[in-house]
Amino acid sequence: MNSPFIDTEEEFAHMSTQRRTIRLLAASLAITGLLAACGSDDTEDADSGSVTTEPAGDAAGETPSAGEGIVLAANPWTGSAVNAYVAKVVLESLGTPVEVKDLDENSTWVGMDDGSIDAVLEVWPSGHAADYEAYITGKKSVIDLGLLGPSAKIGWYIPTFMIEQHPELATWEGFKDPELAKLFSTAESGDDLGQFLMGDPSYVTFDEQVIANLELPLKFVVAGSEAGLLTEIDKAIADETPLLLQFWKPHWKQLEVDLTEVALPEVTDECLASAAAGDGLYACDYAVDELYKAANAGLEAKNAMAFKVLSNLQLTTEQQSEIAGYVDRDGMTPLEAAQKWVDANTDLVAAWSA
Amino acid sequence: MALATAPTPMAPTFGIAATRWWIVPAAVFGVLAVLAIAVNPNVPSWLDIGLQRWVRDGYMWTIENSDHWIFASFFDPLSDLLDRLVESVLWVLEALRWPGVVALTAVIGWMTAGPRAALTGAAAMLGVAVLGVWALAMVTLSIMLTAVAIALAIGVPLGIWTSRSDRAERVLRGVLDTAQVMPAFVYLIPIVVFFSIGYPPAVVATVIYAVPPAVRLTNLGLRSVPVVTNEVGQSFGCTPWQQLVKVQLPMARSTLLLGLNQVIMMAFGIVVIASILGAGDLGNLVLKGLQKNDVGAAFVPGFAIVLLAIALDRISTGERTVSSRPPLIRLPSVDRRTGSLIGLVAVIVAATVAKVADLSTFPAALTVDISGSINDAVGWVQDNLRKDVPLIGGTESINDFLVTKVLEPLREFLVWTPWLLIVVAVAGIGYLSTGWRLAVGCASCLLVIGTMGAIPGGEGGRTQMWDLAMDTLSQVLVAIVISVLIALPLGVLAGRSDRAQRIMRPFLDTAQVMPQFVYLIPVLFLFGVGRGAGVVASVIYAIPPCIRLTGLGLREVPYTPREAAISFGATKRQELVKVQLPLAFRSIMLGINQTILMVLATVIIAALVGAGALGLVAYEGFTKPIQKIGQSAAAGISIVCLAIVLDRLTQAWGTSPDQQRRP
Repeated sequence: MNSPFIDTEEEFAHMSTQRRTIRLLAASLAITGLLAACGSDDTEDADSGSVTTEPAGDAAGETPSAGEGIVLAANPWTGSAVNAYVAKVVLESLGTPVEVKDLDENSTWVGMDDGSIDAVLEVWPSGHAADYEAYITGKKSVIDLGLLGPSAKIGWYIPTFMIEQHPELATWEGFKDPELAKLFSTAESGDDLGQFLMGDPSYVTFDEQVIANLELPLKFVVAGSEAGLLTEIDKAIADETPLLLQFWKPHWKQLEVDLTEVALPEVTDECLASAAAGDGLYACDYAVDELYKAANAGLEAKNAMAFKVLSNLQLTTEQQSEIAGYVDRDGMTPLEAAQKWVDANTDLVAAWSA
Repeated sequence: MALATAPTPMAPTFGIAATRWWIVPAAVFGVLAVLAIAVNPNVPSWLDIGLQRWVRDGYMWTIENSDHWIFASFFDPLSDLLDRLVESVLWVLEALRWPGVVALTAVIGWMTAGPRAALTGAAAMLGVAVLGVWALAMVTLSIMLTAVAIALAIGVPLGIWTSRSDRAERVLRGVLDTAQVMPAFVYLIPIVVFFSIGYPPAVVATVIYAVPPAVRLTNLGLRSVPVVTNEVGQSFGCTPWQQLVKVQLPMARSTLLLGLNQVIMMAFGIVVIASILGAGDLGNLVLKGLQKNDVGAAFVPGFAIVLLAIALDRISTGERTVSSRPPLIRLPSVDRRTGSLIGLVAVIVAATVAKVADLSTFPAALTVDISGSINDAVGWVQDNLRKDVPLIGGTESINDFLVTKVLEPLREFLVWTPWLLIVVAVAGIGYLSTGWRLAVGCASCLLVIGTMGAIPGGEGGRTQMWDLAMDTLSQVLVAIVISVLIALPLGVLAGRSDRAQRIMRPFLDTAQVMPQFVYLIPVLFLFGVGRGAGVVASVIYAIPPCIRLTGLGLREVPYTPREAAISFGATKRQELVKVQLPLAFRSIMLGINQTILMVLATVIIAALVGAGALGLVAYEGFTKPIQKIGQSAAAGISIVCLAIVLDRLTQAWGTSPDQQRRP
C-alpha cells in the first residue's frame, strides 16, 4: 500500500457515482413498477404449469365480498391436500373464497391457535395428543370439528416375499428367533441384531418400548424422514432384501409395492393406560387412528356457512383413496382431482351445506 | 466443573520456569487427567441445570399467553410489516414480468461487474423461466431480497460497532456462532408462535442465518483498513462519521461486497426450510418432490434456486473479480450516468413490451421439463454405483466399511472414554495450540454439554446428552477428515489451473446452494439409511468453501517468492509444497475451518438420513414441539458447543506461528 491516499480519492469518486447509480436504479424500479401496474387488474396470472398452490396470500382477507374468505391447511401428504381441495371446491361454489396453504403439521396447530389458519381437515390423533390437550381441551383456541371418516393405522411392515419365505414372520413371535431376526441386520444394527427402521420422528413411536418389552433381538434405528423409509422400501423390493419398518396405511406407497403388516399383540386397556402414563411398558400394537378435523375456535363467528360445511364434511376411506388416486396415479393436481370428484358426487356434497 | 477452571488463577506464575516451560502444564494436565479417570466416568445427573424444563415451560407459557400485550403491540405489527415488505417486492417483480426482471438483472450486472456478469446473470434468470417455475421463483426471490436487506440493515451497523470495540467483538462472536450453527429446526416452531405462518417466519429464519456473515465481513473489512489511511483521514480533520463513510467503508469495499455475497448465499441455504412454514415458494415444490420420492421433481425447483443464487452472486460480486481476460464485447465506453439511463430505459421497455404483449407468464411451449432426464441419470447412478464396481466395490460396501470399521469404533471409544478425560484432553490440545485461555475456553464449552441433561430412550431408559454429543462428534470428525482429503487436492488444482477452476465453479455453486433435500434420496439409495449416508450428505455440502479458499490462497501467493524458488531450480512440485502451500497456509486453514462449521451446520440434515444423535434430537423439537422443544434446544446448544470448540482450535492452528505465544 504505497499511496493509500490516492486510492482513497479514487474510491471517493467511485462512491459518488455508485450512489447516483443506485438512486437512478431505485427511481427506475419505481417508474417501471408504476408503468407496468397502470390499469392492470388482470395480473392474477395463473402459475406457470406444474404449480398447484396460490403463490401468495393476497386472496384471503382483502375481498370480503361473498362470505369472508377462509384459509385451510394442506399438510405434506396427498390425503391432506385432497380433503382441503374438496372443501375449497365446495365452499367456493357457495361463495366463500378459500386459500389452501401448504405447511407442516406443527405450524398448522400454531396457525389455528392464532387464527391465521381456519381449519385443517385431517389430523392423526396418535401424533397430536399433546396438541389436543394444549389447544383444544386446555386453551380452547382450537375446536374439534368431528371425525373425517377414514381411519388409519401405524404398524410394523415387511415385504410380502419375506412372509412367503419365512411364514413365521407374519407375527411378532417369529422375530423372537435370533436367526430370523438376523436376516434383517445392517451395518447400523451390527451382525447380532436385526434392524427395525423407524421413519419420520413426527409419528408417534412405541417401537423401542415394544422391542425391549417383548425382548426381541432387534435394534431400533431412526431413518429420520419419510424419504428414508420410502428409499429403503424401494431398495428392498428391487433387490429382494429383508426390511422391517414402521409404516402406515393409507399411504400411496402401499398401492405400489406389496408390504404385509406384522401382527403385534392386540391393543389392551393396559397398553392404552401405559401409553397415557408414558411409563415405558408399552408392549402391543398401535391403536387405530380415527382421523379428525380441527378448526380455529372463531370459525363459526367468522363464516357460519364454512363452519357448517366443514363440520359436516366426511369422506369414506374409499372415497379419499379414489381422489388421492387421481393425484398419485393419474397425475392430476389436487384441485383438478377434487373438482372431478365433487362434480360426480353433487348430491353427497350438497348434503354438507343443507 | 471445578477441576478444569481451577488452574486459571495460577496461570501467570508459570512464566518463571522459562527453560522447562512444559513441566508445569504437563503436571497440571497429568493430575487433572488422573482425577478425570478417578471420578465418575459418566456425566452425573446432578450436573443437569434443568435447561430442558425451562425451555419447555417458556414455550408453554408463550402459547398459553398469546394474548399478552407484547404480541399485540410488538410481534403482530412487526409480522404485518414483514408481510407487507415481501408483498411489495413481489408486486414489483410481478409488475416487471419476466422480461423486465431479466433485463433488470442484466442492467445491474453490467453496472456493478461488466458485460460478462450481465450476460451470466440474465442467462441464469432466463433459465429459471425455462424450468417452468417462474411464479414460485419470484416468491422465493421476494423473501430473499427482503431478508437480505434486513440482514444488512442489522449486520452492517453491528459490524461497524464490533470493528471499533474489542469487547463488542468478543461478546457478539458467541452470538453469531450460535446463529450460524444452531439448527433452524430448533427454533422454527417458536418463530411461528411469535410471527405466525407465511412470509414473516420465513424472513425471520433467513435473517437469523444471514446476519452473521454481514457482521463478520464488515468487521473484517473495517479492521483491515491500514492504520496509515485512518491517520491520514484524521489529520485532515475528518469527523468520526466522515472517517467511517468516506475513508473506512470505501477502503473495505471488496470485503463488504464479499459479505453481501455471503449473506445472499447463506440466505439461499435456508430457503427450503422456510417454506415448511407456509411461504408457498420454490422450497415447497422441492418438498413435494421429496414426498413422492421423485428426485427429478425435486431437482427442478432446486436447480431454479441454484440459478437464482448464481444470478445474484454474479451481479453482486461487483469488481471483486475483475477478470483478467479481455471483455466479451467492447462497447463504446459511456459514463455511469448515461449507462444507468440506458439501463433504465431498457428495463422499462422490456416491462412495457411484456405488458402489451401479455407476456405475464413465460410461454409454456418454451419451458423444458428436465425432471425425466434427471430421474434417468439418478436411476443409472443408483443402479450402477451401489455394488460390483471394480476396485472400490460400490457404495454399499463403502458404507459398511465406514459404519462398522470407522464410525462405530470411534463412537464407542468416545463414549467409553471417561467424559472428564475428554474435557481435559481437549483443554490440553487447546493449551498446546495457543495457551491457557483457549484451554479454559474449550473445556468450558464441553462442560456446558455435560449440563444439558439426558433424554428418555436408549439403554437403561435414559441417554445423556453427552453421549449423543460424542456420537455426533465421531460422525463430524469423520466427515471433516473426508471433506479435507477431497477438498485439498481439488483446491490445489483450482489454484494452479484456470481451466480447472472454471470447470469446478458451477459444481461448487451447485453443491453449496442446491437444497440438500434434493440429493437426500440418491444418497439414501446408494448408502442406505444410517450414519454413512449422513457423512456423505455433510461432505457434499462442506467441501466447496475448502476448495475455494485453498484455490484462493494459492493464487494470492505473491509471485516474488515463487520466482525466487524457481531461480534456485525448484521443480514444480517443490514450488508447490515448499513455497505455495506454506504461504497459503492461513487461507487453507480458514477453508478447513469453514468446512468444519458447514459439517456441524448439517448435523440435522444427516439426521434426516439416519445419522441419529444430536441432530435427531434437535429435529424432534420441530416434529413434536410441545413434548420435545426442551430436548431440542439442549441438543442445539450442544451442537453449538461442539462447533465452537472445533472452530477455536482450528482457528488457533491457522494463525501464523509468530502470532502464537507459549507461556
